[in-house]
Amino acid sequence: MSKSIKLSFKKGELNKELADFFKKMIEKNAIDALLAPMTQPNKGVMQTLVTKNSNIKAIDSIDPFAPVVPVNGAKIASSITAKPSNRKVAMILRSCEIRALVELVKLKQANLDDVLLIGIDCIGRYENLDFLKFQEQGETSESFIEKGVAGNTQNNDYDISKACKICEFPRPDNVDLRLCIIDTGSDALYIESLSLKGDKALEKAGIDLNDSVPASSSNTVKKLIKERINARDKAFEEYRESSNSFDDLEKRFAACINCYNCRVACPVCYCKECVFVTDTFRHNGDQYMAWADSFGTLKMPADTTFYHLTRMSHMSLFCVGCGQCTSACPNDIDLMPVFRTVANKTQDRFDYQAGRAFDEAQPLTIFDHDEFVEVTGQVK
Amino acid sequence: MAEKKQTGTVLVTGAGISGIKASLELADIGYKVLLTDSSPQIGGILAKLDHQFPTDHCGMCRILPMIGREYASQYCMRKGLFHENIEILPFTKLVKVEGDAGNYKIQLQKKARYIDTDKCNGLGKCIKVCPIEKHDEFNHGLTKRKAVYQPVPYSTPEMLLIDMDICTKCDECVKICPTNAINLNAEHEILEKEVHAIILASGVKLYNTKEFEDVKSYAVSKDVVSSLAFERIISGTGTYDNTNYNNKGIIKRPSDNKPAEKIAWIQCMGSRNKRQKRDYCSSICCMFALKEAVLAKEKAGKNVETTIFYMDMRTFGKDFYRYKEKAVNEHNVKLIRCRVQGVMLNPDKSLLIRYFDPKTNEFFTETYDMVVLSTGQIFKQDYEQIAKLFNFKLTSQGLIPTKEYNKIELNKPGVFICGSLMGLTDISEAVSSGIAAAGKASSLLSTLDVAVIEQKVISEPKTVERDLPLISVVLCKCSEKESKTNIDFNMLKKKLQTLNQVGEVNIIDTACNDNGKQELINLLEKSKCNRLLMGLCQPFIYRKSLKNLAKKAGFISSLIEIFDLASLIYKSVQTDETMPDINWTKQALNEIKARIENLKFKPALYVEPLEINQTVLVVGGGIAGMYSALALANKNINVHLIEKSDKLGGYAGNHIENTIEGLKPVSMGKDLQIKVFEHKNIIIHLNCEVTETKGSLGNFKSRITDNIKEKSTYLNHGAAILATGALKSETQEYEYKNSDKILTQNELKQGLETKEINIENAENIVMIQCVGSREISSGEIGKEKEKQGYCSRICCIGAIENALKIKEKNPDIRIFILYRDIMTYGFFEQYYTKARAQGIIFVNYTLNNKPEVEIIDDKPVVAFKEHVLNSQVKISCDFLILSTGIASETSNKQLGKIFNVPINEDGFFVEADSKWRPIEFQKTGFFLAGTAHSPMFLKDAILQAEAASQKAHACLCNETIYTAGTISKVHHSLCVQCQRCVDICPYNARTYDESLNKIIVDNAACQACGMCAVVCQNNASEIMGFSDKQIMAMIDMAL
Repeated sequence: MSKSIKLSFKKGELNKELADFFKKMIEKNAIDALLAPMTQPNKGVMQTLVTKNSNIKAIDSIDPFAPVVPVNGAKIASSITAKPSNRKVAMILRSCEIRALVELVKLKQANLDDVLLIGIDCIGRYENLDFLKFQEQGETSESFIEKGVAGNTQNNDYDISKACKICEFPRPDNVDLRLCIIDTGSDALYIESLSLKGDKALEKAGIDLNDSVPASSSNTVKKLIKERINARDKAFEEYRESSNSFDDLEKRFAACINCYNCRVACPVCYCKECVFVTDTFRHNGDQYMAWADSFGTLKMPADTTFYHLTRMSHMSLFCVGCGQCTSACPNDIDLMPVFRTVANKTQDRFDYQAGRAFDEAQPLTIFDHDEFVEVTGQVK
Repeated sequence: MAEKKQTGTVLVTGAGISGIKASLELADIGYKVLLTDSSPQIGGILAKLDHQFPTDHCGMCRILPMIGREYASQYCMRKGLFHENIEILPFTKLVKVEGDAGNYKIQLQKKARYIDTDKCNGLGKCIKVCPIEKHDEFNHGLTKRKAVYQPVPYSTPEMLLIDMDICTKCDECVKICPTNAINLNAEHEILEKEVHAIILASGVKLYNTKEFEDVKSYAVSKDVVSSLAFERIISGTGTYDNTNYNNKGIIKRPSDNKPAEKIAWIQCMGSRNKRQKRDYCSSICCMFALKEAVLAKEKAGKNVETTIFYMDMRTFGKDFYRYKEKAVNEHNVKLIRCRVQGVMLNPDKSLLIRYFDPKTNEFFTETYDMVVLSTGQIFKQDYEQIAKLFNFKLTSQGLIPTKEYNKIELNKPGVFICGSLMGLTDISEAVSSGIAAAGKASSLLSTLDVAVIEQKVISEPKTVERDLPLISVVLCKCSEKESKTNIDFNMLKKKLQTLNQVGEVNIIDTACNDNGKQELINLLEKSKCNRLLMGLCQPFIYRKSLKNLAKKAGFISSLIEIFDLASLIYKSVQTDETMPDINWTKQALNEIKARIENLKFKPALYVEPLEINQTVLVVGGGIAGMYSALALANKNINVHLIEKSDKLGGYAGNHIENTIEGLKPVSMGKDLQIKVFEHKNIIIHLNCEVTETKGSLGNFKSRITDNIKEKSTYLNHGAAILATGALKSETQEYEYKNSDKILTQNELKQGLETKEINIENAENIVMIQCVGSREISSGEIGKEKEKQGYCSRICCIGAIENALKIKEKNPDIRIFILYRDIMTYGFFEQYYTKARAQGIIFVNYTLNNKPEVEIIDDKPVVAFKEHVLNSQVKISCDFLILSTGIASETSNKQLGKIFNVPINEDGFFVEADSKWRPIEFQKTGFFLAGTAHSPMFLKDAILQAEAASQKAHACLCNETIYTAGTISKVHHSLCVQCQRCVDICPYNARTYDESLNKIIVDNAACQACGMCAVVCQNNASEIMGFSDKQIMAMIDMAL
């Protein structure tokens, strides 16, 4: 049986209850710091780090269920933990962030030894600018969840991102604690412990695990996953249809200006310096001339489709489908469908799923004699 | 000026696997090797084998040197061998030997090939015109060849010769030969040479189905073949056909080329036959047959039925048992314990076998499409000749006599043997013995006043990197083919000259003859270019001499590229109507342009010096450890010998007085101890253990902890040998410990020696074999420690030894040996035969039907199934003896972590490659010897110890070594330390240094395989000379 506690809240006071809960965690020394989405003084919601030594009251502005992810938090988790600070930090992240973080841990770009990883139920996120409209309209996380569970995420002219609509992971795994809110009644949230680390932290905070997540909640999540998978598979079909030739790909990437924003936004693009900004791609003038000679014309900047394909070959095995690439593009190139569809195939081929498990070795890091015999041919 | 010292030279006769390995080892140290083979090719039996278990791939190239690899061509070993210090003399025989150790004058007879292989271009026009055909020996008569032929179809360069026995001297070949390479009147030559030592490695052969009367009767049709012939049937260069069958091939049965779908193997054909005076087990055939049965399925599909009829499945070697289990359980290879009495031919050509299945106690008849006779090893007739040549007598078994403890050293100083000349060996023993023989020869040479060939270190100016690349292109148009070629060289030259960074383009006629060479020298000396691209024929043969030539003219070796242009010219000549219109000039242009791009971006590569600490750490003071320490110390290498107990000798050296082979381990141990203690180059650390090791080849640093003084010290060393031994296996099975009448074989042996056990009045003794051995545990490793998935190798022979001793003292006693498979491989078979002759009763049991033991009236009572009577038998015995075997040393797991070397499921260390690199770890600079490797006899442990010391010596014999120019580098500014390269590196050449937060590359271990570059996303890992920029530019140009 899952071990949980029920956190009841009055209408409009979800964040207050959560703030109290995490303040208590810090006060009781269950954690030394908290990284969580918090409302910003001007506008918007951003991941914010609060330590025991800083202004704990700041936690009052916590809003983990806000339907926005300005930056995939895996990158933030990586910057905080790659070199250990030796301070216990709780991080509130959602599924796409956690799955990316799992990959970064395997790539030794993050270290969860000192982290209490907290996942939240997530129905989806709005694009950053749409979220501002959402806030202006006076909508809240509570109202979003209520409507979202019923399938109503559309708000005037905007909706949750395309990536979220086909995301089959509304409830994250591989966490120490989980904040479950999908179909748990409009006045309650359940905090579920999934690891020894989680148990210990709650014990230290003096919190008894005396409840369990209601069955209705799990059933609704299962139902949601099923719907999402259907939508996903339909989308894959569509995407495959629309990008199944080199010409189609060129068309999709046509507006690319090599700004590399998609790479910066991608949580699993972890290189310090991308190969596309190294000498390898710094060509001489005569090289450009030679290309123009042989192709007839040369569209500049060159290497755009090549860049996307290279990036795809580098990260498709780790792609978690968070859709940040699409969100980051200044020219509205919808990259997510291509990457997600390809990732689905490449990961399948290795029987791998990015973010599924910490102990699942990444493909290509282990040598397997009998891998892809049908491709390599019968070497024997 | 002092007189120039003679270069140390060794003759190796026999270019099979052990001879080649011995040659490579000596060449590695810098000695000159003359490698002869009586056949016209090299490679021995293995040239015919495409696959070896356990990988079921070929892997022969793995015996090539890992350090100093640029001195030997990294090339398929089954095609050829190229090493600067090895002179290969095929078709050559040693005919006369005079002199003594360190100074042998020899005569070699080089048989006429009738084709000058230096002149021959290998294109084989002569083969086409030759009118004489004959069954091809290489493919066991399955295919045909001409009188002029290439003995190994894939040898490079193509070593043709003429079979004078069938040649009619019609002269057709002479007329058509474009290079005048054929002389039908050539004569055998006698070569006189001086060598310092001789290694004999002339091997054995596998006999064919017609050789012996007892085997011949089985060969009732063409579809009954020998195991070696079957290798050719499943080989692409034999008759295996995998084209046009939807990626699935067919195994053609020889009589009518129809697919063979049901194949049987019959074991022990011609061997284990006392009546025919072949009272030995060929040792290799069980694994050979298992491998072939698995391969048959892999080659022709899972539906192919494979059945092996055997007497004992002798899976005694390391990991053999696991391979067998896999063959049976995963590949469905059927094993039936039955000595098949004959094969009958059905009218429809299928083959009929009648057999008795002991599982059901019934007779069956089955038809098969093909039958493979497992024909084993037979000693060549030339043993007698060798004995005559060196003036000694063969042993009663017909073998070459060696020193008591040593399988490779003859009583004749300076002459050593290896490979199957020692007896019946498999590949890994052949390789180990080749290394060991080289070690012995090098020991001798180190005492003589001879020189070694120095590694040529080229100190080249580093200035070129700052200069703009300017390329000189030299193309040989091969005057001989020029008239017919469809490549327009003038056009080619014109186009190439327009390219940026091409300084000059020169077309020459024939670079291979003296005129051409002179022309080339003149051109190069005038050249102002800093990079050189040469297109010629047979770059493999000419590469070395041309590179030297260009280097003399001032070019840097890594900036000289030589490529095969002749193949393209040749292809263009062959164009006929059936081929589409190809613009050959454009084809050539694109290929050359791509190479120019590559050369343009190529960095100059320099070899890096690596200082070597000439000290070896030997871990384990048993006989293997002491032996290696002494061998190294005698070659002037410093040794730290680490032993965790308070005395040297290990188990054998302290407890085993006598062995069945007549060895006396205790007295040998004592002898070694004295030598080790007295040797000035050896420091002994008793009660000590290694607790930490860091570093790479040449520069390791290990922490040694003294368990008594509780103090640690650090030792610097250049290499390490792990000889940590093994343990006696313990058991809880069969009521052991509940009765003083139940003993292990060891306890019995000691009891007999000390006379504490009295068997004078005993009536019945039962022995149970495989107690705890060869049972693959289903639980986690370590939890079910008594189950071991391997054969302990020594127990069957040990049991028979004890049984024979008891019989000697008490002839009336009844001894029952309950066994699963009797593992008396090789000449141990004679003891098995003797035991049966003396009335010792052998009863087979299976894992499903283990004997049961209870204690009644203070006597063990054993119940088991007797298969001849087919009934349950109970025997009350005076003693029950359990063969408990050998267990791996429990500390191996810990040591594996400390040294960063792997251990297998059974707790033994895992060598780099079980066949080809049995003595070394994948981690460069670490070697292993003795029972830390797997259970083995003392002689084998000593052989490994000798080999391990040779390997360590070869690494450390120079104070400075030079690592290869082509190795991987880390661009630290780009590296994010994700360590994927560390995980994937198959050579353990990369480590992550936490304190530096950097990836460190071990330059000596890196083999430039490129895996690190593959997993690295942003080129922080790069193989020097293969940058993305180069490769992409090349591809760009070639498209």
